[in-house]
Amino acid sequence: MSTHADQPVAVRTRSVDMFFGDGETKVTALKQADFEANRGELIMLVGPSGCGKTTLLSVIAGTLTPQTGTVEVFGQRLDGLSQEELTTFRRKHLGFVFQSFNLIPTLSVLENVMVPLLIQGASHDVAVAKARAMLEKVGLKGREYGQPNALSGGQQQRVAIARALVHEPSLLICDEPTSALDKDTGAQIMQMVRDLSRSPERCVVVVTHDHRIFRFADRIAEMEDGRIRRVVEDASLLDTNHL
Amino acid sequence: MYRLALNMLFGDRAKLAMLLCGLAFSALLMAQQTSVFFGIMSWTYTPVYNIRAPIWVSDPMVEQANDAKPMRDTDLYRVRSVDGVAWAAPLHTSFLQARMQDGNFKLITMVGIDADTFAGAPAVLSQGLIEDLRLPNTVIVDEWGAQLMGRVTKGADGKEVVIPLKVGDTFEVNDLEARIVGICKVRRAFTGGPFVYTTYDRTKQYTLGARRTLSFMLVEPQAGVDPVKLCARIEADTGLKAWTSDTVIWSWSDRSLARNTFWWFWKNTGIPFSFGTAVALGLFVGIAVSGQTFYSFVLENLKYFAAIKAMGAGMGVIARMLLVQAFTAGLLGFGLGVGMAQAIGRAMIEKGMPPFIMFPQIFWATLALVLGISLVSAIIGIIKVSRVDAATVFRG
Repeated sequence: MSTHADQPVAVRTRSVDMFFGDGETKVTALKQADFEANRGELIMLVGPSGCGKTTLLSVIAGTLTPQTGTVEVFGQRLDGLSQEELTTFRRKHLGFVFQSFNLIPTLSVLENVMVPLLIQGASHDVAVAKARAMLEKVGLKGREYGQPNALSGGQQQRVAIARALVHEPSLLICDEPTSALDKDTGAQIMQMVRDLSRSPERCVVVVTHDHRIFRFADRIAEMEDGRIRRVVEDASLLDTNHL
Repeated sequence: MYRLALNMLFGDRAKLAMLLCGLAFSALLMAQQTSVFFGIMSWTYTPVYNIRAPIWVSDPMVEQANDAKPMRDTDLYRVRSVDGVAWAAPLHTSFLQARMQDGNFKLITMVGIDADTFAGAPAVLSQGLIEDLRLPNTVIVDEWGAQLMGRVTKGADGKEVVIPLKVGDTFEVNDLEARIVGICKVRRAFTGGPFVYTTYDRTKQYTLGARRTLSFMLVEPQAGVDPVKLCARIEADTGLKAWTSDTVIWSWSDRSLARNTFWWFWKNTGIPFSFGTAVALGLFVGIAVSGQTFYSFVLENLKYFAAIKAMGAGMGVIARMLLVQAFTAGLLGFGLGVGMAQAIGRAMIEKGMPPFIMFPQIFWATLALVLGISLVSAIIGIIKVSRVDAATVFRG
């Protein structure tokens, strides 16, 4: 029986250093951070506040460029790309689920989901059709023309998931996707992320503090002081009081 | 993306309303003030506008149409003798006091026209006949004058009512009777005084025998003679100054009496400065209000623009989104502002003052300035969004 560890690597960082500011104000966010996530895998990045989870996520997403080290996402080295090339890469290969949903309140639910497709240059009609189908998948059929603010937190996060997956990205980046949700809703959302993103050609990286959702991870990478401390498959091995 | 950009703009109704208010107010102020300015300035060359003679001849020191420097009557014969002149008629203009029947005095502009040809006579009479001007002590008053010099009485409701002058009414100029034989329609004068037409010879009576009464000469070129060339010939032969009656104030011709009058008032009065200040105020208010509102709109949407950047939208796409939003608001604000300016202008035209002329140039210039304001607003927004790091979306 094959495991996720047998799958080809989807995301790999090697010896990544990342620091902000200089002199006395210099803050080191990542120190020789080595990280790997495989295709078909849902991996969680956990650790205490300030350990570098979000910075590592930003490096993987190509929104931050590390000072040293290499970053490879689905075979593409990101560390040598220009900002324009990184933007193009994100457009084609990445989907995002944000902590605060980041749904545009003045657009309808449908329009919010259409955004990634329109950024890719899809026609309006194609974007509408794909966004409708995706909203149906996340159980929001009939809510297309409502405003996001009229939805519950769970429903808004489902819209965000639909937006993240509508253009079928290879890598799904989730930043604290359940922090604004109650336990049951959080579980439902994670189940949905797991179900919808389960594909041998996709990888999901989730940054979270929420130990209630650890059970949805295939593996959990624990970070401390800017580096990966250890990677476990069983959440019970983690000291959740420490996180 | 542009449709979504517009939906973002229209979705925030409070901001949109504020933005449109700023832009519309700005457009209104710029278009309305400029139109009133050109309306008032058009009054400065009213004599040329009302009397459509092909060529005007004046004393060489005259600078503009309201600046009459009397010439000798014999100058008329000298002009008539210039090769290419079909006919030349005298014209007198002067400011006089008219004494009304109630004892009140009003400033009038007396215009003396040639009694034989009626050259320089008003084109449209709403009452009376131009030929009656040949009768003794007769005048024709313009409609504005008939109203201004009318008798004030109390109506049935106790309110003051003006009964306009009509044919048959009389008033006095320098103790001489002036009997109205016609009411004419002409454009009002910059000085505000009504036009009172009489014959050229009679003006000598009303001006108490002034030695020189020839203010201008109206000249018709012979068929096929170019007015501009004839002007040059009149100047060469007589030493007087000859002008064309072209009223296109934008023209480059320095022979146009109307254009020279317009620019004389531009240079020698504070009118352009005061109206220019109002227009500049409109521009600055527009930039301040719409720029600030649009900036606040961008600030409120900054995290969404950062999210869109993170999702892979380049700055080019976002810049175009912001430009679409700013220019759409600009066009709507322009439409509202210029629409209001037109509505106010129509109300003004019905009342007769202040004058209001919206040249196509004013329309296009206002559009350009409002779009300029929108562009400035969009650039401020673009700079702000360009400085936002896409990574900020992961910071809660």
